[in-house]
Amino acid sequence: MLEKFWGSGKLEKKVLEKIKDYLNTLCSATQCLKEVLTKEYIEETYCVENLEREADYLKREIISMIYEGAFLPYIRPNLCAFIEITEKAFNYLNLCAFDFRYFKLDIYKEIKEECIKVADINVEMCQILIKGFEALTKKDNLREKKLAIRIYEKKVDDIKLDISEKLRNSELAKQVNFWEGKTIAEFVDSLVSISDIIEDASDYLYILDLSLK
Amino acid sequence: MEKKVSEIMNTKLETISSDATVYDAIERLIDKRIRSLLVLPKDSKDDYGVVTVRNIIFKVLAQKLDPVKIKIGNIASKPIIAVSKDTNIEEILNLMLKNNIARVFVKNENNEIIGLVSFFDILAEILIEKAKK
Repeated sequence: MLEKFWGSGKLEKKVLEKIKDYLNTLCSATQCLKEVLTKEYIEETYCVENLEREADYLKREIISMIYEGAFLPYIRPNLCAFIEITEKAFNYLNLCAFDFRYFKLDIYKEIKEECIKVADINVEMCQILIKGFEALTKKDNLREKKLAIRIYEKKVDDIKLDISEKLRNSELAKQVNFWEGKTIAEFVDSLVSISDIIEDASDYLYILDLSLK
Repeated sequence: MEKKVSEIMNTKLETISSDATVYDAIERLIDKRIRSLLVLPKDSKDDYGVVTVRNIIFKVLAQKLDPVKIKIGNIASKPIIAVSKDTNIEEILNLMLKNNIARVFVKNENNEIIGLVSFFDILAEILIEKAKK
């Protein structure tokens, strides 16, 4: 039944495999960021950058294969859009890792616990997104994956408020200059935006699923 | 559900003194959009308590009592049910069922309350675990 929509050719299978690789790369990048934030290890931030480059290469391959003729024409733009949404998560991961290099560690320590919680949730959300993609291709229960992702996103929203409150009340944070403040704001913003993008991607998977019914 | 309670508990606890009025508690519950407050012990011999929206409605408002005149200490449920942070979720569910309660508190080695697990936290955990399979 599903083969009718997805196509059963070699090219389609190859694209689906590449998308899985792409999502696995996203998962690795979130794990890498978690390591950086947990160990406060600046060198590790370059690993996020490398994974983003790898994902960029995979993205180009996927999109070329789709436009070489994989899948029915009406599915192609939707699949490309899914990849493009996910790409934004890489941008935020990269920005977060970049800002961490310039983040004053004594201020970071005040919000470290919350940041690690968010990074951990990002990893878990990615793993569920992969399961969601597999559920879409196997016509499994995608709805429950989408719900779990929404629950996680709500948790991140709560933690985001805690981080803002801690920073507003931090004496150290009050003493920073414009550029240091900008780095902190960008770091926090990008860290908590990753889950937003994963939620968008999971919503898009659900729309794709509905459009195939 | 292999996770320990410490992995899913909510550590943001809103507390209130037992000398505060019920009206103070109502204001806090509305401001913070929560359903219960942890009532702090008066002294080292006293126990922690909990005041819920249910307590306020049935023990004060439905009785047509003035919430400004009633002290939290008079309506709080004491002692609270608290477990150690290593307790597993299955045990928490049994406690909730046995005692007909919607929340269980989590204590540390010094018997200080450090977190709270509600039905909603357990619901979220069950759904997440299901999605991971």
